Amino acid sequence: MSQLIWNGLFVGSFYALVALGYSMVYGIIKLLNFAHGDLYMLGAFSGFAMLGAMGGLVKSQSLLALFIVLLLAMLTTGLSGVVLERVAYRPLRRAPRLALLITAVGASFALEYGTRIVAGANPKVYPVRLGGTTLHVFGARITVQQLALVGVAVALMVALHLLITRSRQGRAMRAIALDPRAALLMGVDVDKVIARTFFIGSALAGAAGVMAGGYYGKIDFLMGFIIGLKAFTAAVIGGIGNMQGTMLGGLVLGLLESFGTHWLGGEWRDVFAFGCLILFLTVRPTGLLGERVTERV
Amino acid sequence: MKSPKIILGVALAAVAATSACGQGVLGGDDEGGDDKGPIVLGMNVPKSGSSAEIGPYMENGAQLAIEEINAKGGVLGRKLQLRAEDDGCDPKMATAAANKLVAAGVKASVGGYCSGATLPTLPVFDKAKIPMVIPAANSTDLVAQKLKHVFLINGTGDQQTTAAMAWLVKSGAKKVAVMHDNTSYAKDIAVRTAAELDKPGGPDKAGIETVNPGESDYSANVTAVLKTSPDFIYWTGYYQEGGLLTRQLRQAGYKGKIMVADGAVDPKIISIAQGENADGLYATMTQMPDTIQGAQNWVAKYKQKFSADPGPYSPQSYDAVRVVAEAMTKAGSTDGAKVVTALEGINGFQIFSGPLKFTPDHRLSEGGFVILVVKDGKFALQDSLK
Repeated sequence: MSQLIWNGLFVGSFYALVALGYSMVYGIIKLLNFAHGDLYMLGAFSGFAMLGAMGGLVKSQSLLALFIVLLLAMLTTGLSGVVLERVAYRPLRRAPRLALLITAVGASFALEYGTRIVAGANPKVYPVRLGGTTLHVFGARITVQQLALVGVAVALMVALHLLITRSRQGRAMRAIALDPRAALLMGVDVDKVIARTFFIGSALAGAAGVMAGGYYGKIDFLMGFIIGLKAFTAAVIGGIGNMQGTMLGGLVLGLLESFGTHWLGGEWRDVFAFGCLILFLTVRPTGLLGERVTERV
Repeated sequence: MKSPKIILGVALAAVAATSACGQGVLGGDDEGGDDKGPIVLGMNVPKSGSSAEIGPYMENGAQLAIEEINAKGGVLGRKLQLRAEDDGCDPKMATAAANKLVAAGVKASVGGYCSGATLPTLPVFDKAKIPMVIPAANSTDLVAQKLKHVFLINGTGDQQTTAAMAWLVKSGAKKVAVMHDNTSYAKDIAVRTAAELDKPGGPDKAGIETVNPGESDYSANVTAVLKTSPDFIYWTGYYQEGGLLTRQLRQAGYKGKIMVADGAVDPKIISIAQGENADGLYATMTQMPDTIQGAQNWVAKYKQKFSADPGPYSPQSYDAVRVVAEAMTKAGSTDGAKVVTALEGINGFQIFSGPLKFTPDHRLSEGGFVILVVKDGKFALQDSLK
């Protein structure tokens, strides 16, 4: 039982980290950024390239190297997110929602197959793996590396929460979420704030990508697709646009999958998890902590 | 219907071609139309998607055979030419690719890796009366429809199951868990193996577990499998998930044996599973370049041509082309019906898995499965089960 809960929470923290970017972007410009999962993939690949470039340091100081790479990859992925917004989404901001949605799907394919051209179709294996000793907590097997990853994920989420609730930046973001036009009239530089939002959201996805690479070891150019869908689901469960809700949604989805596998077997896991999602949304369409009902796609 | 002169011509061409020095001027007269240019062989292989790295291995293997045959004068006096299409291991893409090949006028198909993607292409080729010699895809579903033009030269699921069971018994397994990824190919082997395990005597079944391909975290599946306390786990899916599962099983403290099926035999499974996690990993596999006795020359030739090592299904694709060429030569024609008859008549033609003879349902009469084991970071032959 405790093992199931831990499995769920561990996977869920990855979902949550990726889901935050989805949720932030949606909260601010009501765009479902379907390319978000591919930014996660981009993070994993840029981390892979950097680890390759660092060569010797990776061997001697692998943890330190991985940490530096994590930060650099977040930066790279964040900037890619900004570029993506500038190139693909900003020109269409006043276009119909559907056009924007299709652009997002297009951006997703462009990133996937662009990466394939650069890095090749073969999966890559991270040169550094997080190895760790196993602890037994309440009967669950927990490795130190898992704890470290969850620790990093939680730290990033706390930092994001503080940024949004405490800083001027965060206030501007919330203002735009409420009403972009009014925010503009009040002197908020809307374009800049949206670019920053993309930066933060993409950086979080990039961090998750490097962590997945370091932990699971295998990366490939389509790795962002499924986790993108899962993260989107997590965001909807929690209440898309709401940060705490999204984090909670990630953990809930992880737990649903873990228990679904346990009770019904692997082939029923997604049926179970997504069945719960449908049931849940009919009862509470705004998600766990979502407040406003938004009718736009 | 035909003037004696033409019949004589065809006969001459057939003789010329059979003796493999074929400059048969009148070759393939019965075709009408496009009998002057090269004979195009179609090949559906994955060049994108989850099995993207297999495509080039197969394409190169086929290309090698084609060049060898062309160097000896081709087939029926005509050169062979390969036309490879990407099926992405995806049923929809595969069907579109097959239609493209048919429209391009291919005379035979020598492709097919993912069974799930190959299955929907069977009626496309069959309707166009184009013989298929499928080198890699090996789900028994492929021959279940008993289509006239479909031939498999890889061992099928039930032959693989027989090999797996033989090794389970031989290595003293007691409680076996079977895992698969719900694809046509993997499920076929898994379900057959589970059915064998359910029979009285021999090893028992611990359970059968399905995972979703394409993910990274299989801890929930691992926990579910380990709950049934198996001492042997058989993974019948592909290598990416296989590598992740092996590593995650070991991390979860599983000490028993692990075996994978032929779709998971790729050097990458070892690096994904990471180092010693993969040591002692068994595999049921058809012949590979480095486990085939006396294939060193072939491997050297391949390396020289493509400056890369041959991979899984390079030899089988090479064989598929040779089998088709042999059948066309024997038939003295590229006509679908005649080639099929010639394929059915092949007896003892040497391919990598041994002398070739098709069963009435167009499969290998000998499976040719062996057991490999990972030793020092490489797959090596463990037991040839003979």
